[in-house]
Amino acid sequence: MTFLYAAAIAAYSGCGLYLMLSRHVVRVVLGLALLTNGAIFLIFFSGRIGSMTPAVIPLGDQELALDAANSLPQALALTAIVIGFALTAFAVALLVAAYKRLDTLDAREMTAAEDMGSPFLPPEGRPVEKAASGKADAGQGDQKMTGQNTTGEVKTNG
Amino acid sequence: MSVTLALALGLIGSILAPFAAARWKTIGNALVVAVPALLFIFFFLQLGAVGEAPIVEENPWVPSLGIALTIRLDGFSLLFALLISGIGTLVALYAASYMDEKTPFYRAQFLFYILLFMSAMLATVTADNLMALFVFWEMTSLLSFLLVGFDSTKLAARKAALQSMLVTVGGGLSLLAGIILIGVTAGTFSIGALMENPAPLVESPLFTAIIILMMAGAFTKSAQVPFHFWLPNAMAAPTPASAYLHSATMVKLGVFLLATMAPIFSQAAWFGPTLVAFGGATMLIAALQALRSTAFKAVLAFSTVASLGTITMLIGLDGEVAAVATVGFILAHALYKAALFFCAGIVIHATGEPRLNRLGGLASVMPITAGATVLAAFSAAGLPPFVGFISKEYLFEAQIESTFTAIAVLIGVLVNTVMVAIAVVVVMRPFFRPARRELHVHHGEATGMTVGPVALGLIGLLFGLAPGLVATSLIQPAASAIYGEPLDVSFYLWHGFTPMLALSILVVALGLLVAKYWDPIHVALRRRRIFDRLLDDRGYYWVLDNTLALARWSTLRLQNGDLRIYTAVIATVVTFFMVYALLAGDGPVFPSVNHPEFNLYMVGVVGLIIVGCFVAALTTSLVTAIIGVGLAGYGLALVFLLNGGPDLALTQFSVETLFVVIVTAVLLRLPLMFTKTRTPGERRYDASLAAVFALTIFSAVLWVEAVPFNPVIPEYFAQVSYTEAFGRNVVNVVLVDFRALDTFGEIAVVAFAALGAWALLRRNNVAKKKPAATPAKEG
Repeated sequence: MTFLYAAAIAAYSGCGLYLMLSRHVVRVVLGLALLTNGAIFLIFFSGRIGSMTPAVIPLGDQELALDAANSLPQALALTAIVIGFALTAFAVALLVAAYKRLDTLDAREMTAAEDMGSPFLPPEGRPVEKAASGKADAGQGDQKMTGQNTTGEVKTNG
Repeated sequence: MSVTLALALGLIGSILAPFAAARWKTIGNALVVAVPALLFIFFFLQLGAVGEAPIVEENPWVPSLGIALTIRLDGFSLLFALLISGIGTLVALYAASYMDEKTPFYRAQFLFYILLFMSAMLATVTADNLMALFVFWEMTSLLSFLLVGFDSTKLAARKAALQSMLVTVGGGLSLLAGIILIGVTAGTFSIGALMENPAPLVESPLFTAIIILMMAGAFTKSAQVPFHFWLPNAMAAPTPASAYLHSATMVKLGVFLLATMAPIFSQAAWFGPTLVAFGGATMLIAALQALRSTAFKAVLAFSTVASLGTITMLIGLDGEVAAVATVGFILAHALYKAALFFCAGIVIHATGEPRLNRLGGLASVMPITAGATVLAAFSAAGLPPFVGFISKEYLFEAQIESTFTAIAVLIGVLVNTVMVAIAVVVVMRPFFRPARRELHVHHGEATGMTVGPVALGLIGLLFGLAPGLVATSLIQPAASAIYGEPLDVSFYLWHGFTPMLALSILVVALGLLVAKYWDPIHVALRRRRIFDRLLDDRGYYWVLDNTLALARWSTLRLQNGDLRIYTAVIATVVTFFMVYALLAGDGPVFPSVNHPEFNLYMVGVVGLIIVGCFVAALTTSLVTAIIGVGLAGYGLALVFLLNGGPDLALTQFSVETLFVVIVTAVLLRLPLMFTKTRTPGERRYDASLAAVFALTIFSAVLWVEAVPFNPVIPEYFAQVSYTEAFGRNVVNVVLVDFRALDTFGEIAVVAFAALGAWALLRRNNVAKKKPAATPAKEG
């Protein structure tokens, strides 16, 4: 069973990372959700899996039965689930706001910060900077990575 | 009164007096002068006690780290303390007058820095703990930065300030590394303890590294080759600061440290020769550059660099005489060089002309300054009966008696020839030769400004005429301190007809010759552009420019606005270190583990998770991907449910359902069509990175299982959950009782996330659409 659990955690982590490396921000959020689940599973697993008895003290007893499940990782996992959900929900809100404002779901085109210029160059030096940054700005302008528009570099890549 | 108390009061006075000076001019200025003057009197009164044994006062500071603000006042640090407070008094007096026509705030700010610097300097030279010494050392660097860049509207001043700070603070880092190594090898940071028991340090294999690191720190501070370039540039500071920091006191910290540590470091055979080599090179280069300089202050600055080189060389020379010569030279140099800077400041202030060859005929306008310059220059040239003569005699004697006789004496003669020439030129050129062009003299000499140079010049004469005043009281304890054992010092004017006297006469004669032909030599050397290329601060700018270029390059590479690159870099680095940790460990990469009994339904659940993950990762439809993530999440909930975690399962089910609902709802507002955003190559890289990451996680999970389980905490919860917290559901009790603060934090996180989401999605916040993006693009 250990191998199976390990495989499940590995699948969460690997697939989560693969999705997070995408430039499509919705996939990034999905990857984040998977990676979160992997971390929660790992916490749960590290307290040792095996017992099927919940960590509840039966009426009349003073102490938990010895064969009951480990309570500590469950408590930690519970905290992690809630925080993970809060994080994911915030990320979703962020991507909705970003889409509404920037009209794109492609991370490459979310360059509002970069468009403010380089801290190394005076403002008049900005055109040089933009040319030098090459690929980062290649998708600028008409190549919006939205639903229907997949022109230019992105198309050839895809 | 203890030294600690005096220093503390001095610091308080240094902070308060300038504020008074900003408010009430006369009283404030008097206070500003009184603070260093009182400190000088205090240290003067310690002469007798320190002559017998060093004063040591323990003041705990960070006891847990073994750092104490222990004060250690031996003969050598007392010499420095007297110079710092004494010249500090004159500098305060001078500066108050120098900045007379400036606004009160400007003047007070300058005095504030000067007095703070004085406090930091005093703390540096009296600190026994090397860590404390380092902290104060860096404070002097910072204050030097503020003072060099004091005319902050001038580009040159800002550049020079940055340069001086980068060089000295960079050297300070090297010094810190050396100090830490000393602490590691010797187990103490106390200089006193090191002196008593240097064996662990000397025998350590790190001894060489320690010396090199400390040397680098000292060389940057004392402007030795190859760091000699910053000091002349630092002349952008107002002249009182130049006189104080960049000739008399701060730049001598490097040699102070070397001399203090010399009794220990000289046990490495190469320590002395290295110092002689660097000191000699610095002397020659500085002398050459002094001949090539045009500005009054630059000539003095290069002669200061040459003097610092001389002191470095003297520390490196072996023998008792070298110790006496070091102390004598430091004393004499501080006296005459500060005076010369004061005079240069008066001249430049009055005429507004910084170039030496444009000045002339000022003796009639400012006779007192001319007189003071003559006094100081005689001492600088090493003419009898000034203290400079005695120190030069000892310099030559130390060089002759050392093992480096020929080369040391040759360098000494050459450089001192130039020093004599400089002394003659700075007297004759501005004061006694007629000006080549009409000079406009704005004002005569102010009393406050002439007191300093006259006093220093007269003291130089006094010590020369009556060396007995300082021989046993000041020079003997100081020389003994840096020699490591008590010395019987003879410091007197007339040594009889010795080889040293012959050398002195030769040097004066040659110096007069060089002074006579100063202009042709100056022009000829100045024409040689090769010296610019070799000797100026090109190397510094090369390092600086390339560092900035590297920063720019790495920023463009790493901070290029592509989220994928950021994530990929982070994930690659993390994965690399995880793999490294796995492979570098002792055990196997995949440890064998005990298998709990095999449940067929668990296979199904885990299969659900794995399938869900891969569906999410591989599908090209966003809706399918969401379903995949949801499946994987429900699978995890089932794992909880089947392994004794009903609470967890309930939460996971609700959260997963909410997640699917929210993301689906959001998707209604987003273009649904799935576009590929990665090239096949990028996707291959990402897939392999993810695979390696997953494999590493897999192995790590097996390792978790292979490590023996420690059930102490869950057993404790199981025992006391009902008896102490009165709850039967142990998980709940843990959440709300044992780890209640964690839960509180969790609630806070959720609240902040909700607030953040609300702020992001408010209607008026998203009203600002890009104008170009308005055409319908919804899918």
